[in-house]
Amino acid sequence: MARILFFGRLSDFAEAIEAPLPDGVRDTDALTAWLSRENARLGEALARPGVRVIVNNAFISAPLELSDTDEIAFTSPLSGG
Amino acid sequence: MGAPFTDIEIAAAPFDPEAAHADFRRRVDGAGAIVAFTGLVRGKTGDGEDVSRLTLQHYPGFTEKEITRIVSKASVRWPLVGSRIIHRTGDLESGEPIVFVATASIHRRAAFEAADFLMDYLKADAPFWKKETRGDNAMWIEPRAEDLIDKARWRDSEGDANARDQRDS
Repeated sequence: MARILFFGRLSDFAEAIEAPLPDGVRDTDALTAWLSRENARLGEALARPGVRVIVNNAFISAPLELSDTDEIAFTSPLSGG
Repeated sequence: MGAPFTDIEIAAAPFDPEAAHADFRRRVDGAGAIVAFTGLVRGKTGDGEDVSRLTLQHYPGFTEKEITRIVSKASVRWPLVGSRIIHRTGDLESGEPIVFVATASIHRRAAFEAADFLMDYLKADAPFWKKETRGDNAMWIEPRAEDLIDKARWRDSEGDANARDQRDS
């Protein structure tokens, strides 16, 4: 099962998902596109500047191949402290 | 000197910074200086609007990992005896402590600078998401330009020293 998580502004539009990756989704770009098709408001939020993707506890800087054991988190800009 | 003592806590409930300071002091035997910073929830925005509530999210596991990475960077730069970070999550009200950073070193300069560095990096790089409620409106807070500038000043240590000299004069 892949786990897909949403943080910050993105969590207003989607709950965490625990499921096999959708058919044909093999990387983070394809997952972003699939999520955007399924949920238009989430899609708008994912298209805003500053959205980052974390795969298995590491920020990614380029599209990454995914498998059903991965944990993928989509985040809006960080604001701690 | 051995590896510095490090304690990182993500707190879902209110914490007592004075108790955290006292506890930290007991655990950093041999230190000659402790610097402790407590950040509080401001009751007003920069525009003077009242903030009724602040809600903080974190990413369990990943947030702790990233803070550990930030503390490791500080430990490379300064000879720390120890450091302690407490960061709140959940719902907070105006005036509540939101973050506590304490550093201990043999001498004061390292403790001051490491605490300052840790706060700048926590603001910019620690995985927290902050939502501010003003009346009936809630909005997610994004980093301000100043937060990124604060972090950037640590990139060039010589530039940092010059900037500090100018500020202190």
